[in-house]
Amino acid sequence: MRRRKRQGWHRYVNLVTIGATLTVLFVLLPLYWMISSSLKGPSDIGSASALPQHVSGINYSSAFVHSGFGHYIVNSVIVAVCTTALVLALGTMAGYALGRLPMRAKLPTMVVLLMISVFPAIAVIAPLFLLMKTIGWLNSYQALIVPYTAFNLPFAVWILRNYMLGIPREMEETARIDGAGPFTTLWRIIIPQARPGLFTAGIFTFTACWTEFLMALSFNSDNSYRTIPVGIALFGSQFTIPYGTIFAASTAAAVPIAILVLVFRRSVVSGLTAGAVKG
Amino acid sequence: MATTVTAVPPRGGPAGASEVVGRPDEHRRRMARLGWMFTTPALLFIGIVTLFPIGFSVLLSFEHVNVTGNGFQLQGLTTANYSLVLGASIWQYALVFTLYYTVVTVIVELIIGTLIALVLERMVAGRGWMMAMLLVPWSLVTVISAKLWAYIYDPTFGIADSILHALGLGNPVILGGNTSAIIAMMVADIWKTVPFVTIIVLAGLVMLPQDIYEAAEVDGASGWTTFWRITFPLLRPTIALAVLFRVLQAFGLFDLPFVLTQGGPGHQTTSLAVLGYDVMFNNLNFGPGAAIATTTAVIVVLGCLLFLKVFRSQAAEEGM
Repeated sequence: MRRRKRQGWHRYVNLVTIGATLTVLFVLLPLYWMISSSLKGPSDIGSASALPQHVSGINYSSAFVHSGFGHYIVNSVIVAVCTTALVLALGTMAGYALGRLPMRAKLPTMVVLLMISVFPAIAVIAPLFLLMKTIGWLNSYQALIVPYTAFNLPFAVWILRNYMLGIPREMEETARIDGAGPFTTLWRIIIPQARPGLFTAGIFTFTACWTEFLMALSFNSDNSYRTIPVGIALFGSQFTIPYGTIFAASTAAAVPIAILVLVFRRSVVSGLTAGAVKG
Repeated sequence: MATTVTAVPPRGGPAGASEVVGRPDEHRRRMARLGWMFTTPALLFIGIVTLFPIGFSVLLSFEHVNVTGNGFQLQGLTTANYSLVLGASIWQYALVFTLYYTVVTVIVELIIGTLIALVLERMVAGRGWMMAMLLVPWSLVTVISAKLWAYIYDPTFGIADSILHALGLGNPVILGGNTSAIIAMMVADIWKTVPFVTIIVLAGLVMLPQDIYEAAEVDGASGWTTFWRITFPLLRPTIALAVLFRVLQAFGLFDLPFVLTQGGPGHQTTSLAVLGYDVMFNNLNFGPGAAIATTTAVIVVLGCLLFLKVFRSQAAEEGM
């Protein structure tokens, strides 16, 4: 039944093609609507026409020249890149140790990490806000980089540990007999082998930083430190919502991350299904 | 095996390879030390930014907190925060709403996500493209998708309004009605997260052994029977995982109501996280805010433990 050959018009019109077409429409229509609206001029934006009547770049110039969305994108890039670098550096060392070195209490450590990654962000907002207020960190890059690193590390450690477990032990032994120190072994032997895990942990961390809203809103609400989600959420006033400008900025923010995710789609899918594979 | 070739030199044995490598137990100890050296930075980071605040949050929830110009003061232990929060009808409503919203969206997402995964699994060509396409909503900033749906639902120039009007359903203010606002928010949520469920379920489907299906076909089982008797039981661990992830995410619901409905109309779409944020940052009541945060965290952890227990015992029953 699963691999039945279909004949005649059933080859083209069947549950699979109908289902697939509906899925494509379901996913892409709202995205299409966002992009096409970002190209509509002020006279078009209120119309429900599928195509912009007059394709115009006015929303893009309004977003980037007049409203400073470029600055929010720069903030997001700084926060996401710094966090990803920190997470990968700390996560690789911890993942290597927990995956391959003879330590006690490895399992309890991993379970505690898992429990932490489950905690809702709202639970730590109040104390972190008060702490940052006290040490003067509110509205700064580190106000986001530090908590983002901590919240993304558990998943990165898990993923990297799983990849480290699969590396053959002989390679390490050979390196040791050749007189390589632990850092050299990690850098030369382990990291190249664990590269897919690094990609997965990296892309997940980057995406999480790019999309995070609650902490960014709570800690960095000042205009000069807003990231993309905060910038877009707080743009406009209570009475007028400049959708054209918002969608121009949204499209510009969505395209780079979508490209990144598509380029690294194997890593993303393997990260999404890591738990499923391990059972 | 009668004889095993041992690579480990005898303890205190003659000098040889062991001198280069070091005595095995000492080497082991050194490696364990190295292990903690490598793990400590990550654990410290996580501990300082998560475990310590979680503890501090519990403390705050039992304190009178007074936020001042450049810091805060704690003014004595109290249980007033909890009695205030637990007795407030708005908190009770937010709890019920968050639970209800989580259950409904996760069930609907699971059904749609599994259906799409079953379709994709049968696709002969283009599955890779479909997977790639599904990753786009996953990577989209939730705030952006919330703005997109706010525009779609807009009463003056939203496309949903035009469609309802064309269908002869009048011009309802979608985000202004009590029930319609909740449904509208669920639709936006489902659109963004169905792809996530689909990808996880599809990965599970692809790994199922094919010979069982051939056997079922030989036995003349219908597609429906095959799904409920074979596919679904085998997929259960995968589905359980997708449910766990989604429930955790849905329970922390914040971005979507904050942007789409601001918790309204009235308090109809005020989730626990929106309420907590509102109490802390709009009213600067950090004591009650911490009490809301702590109760939410306790519910999440208890829910997780319960889920793991049920899932483990079910898996054990089936000898998995």
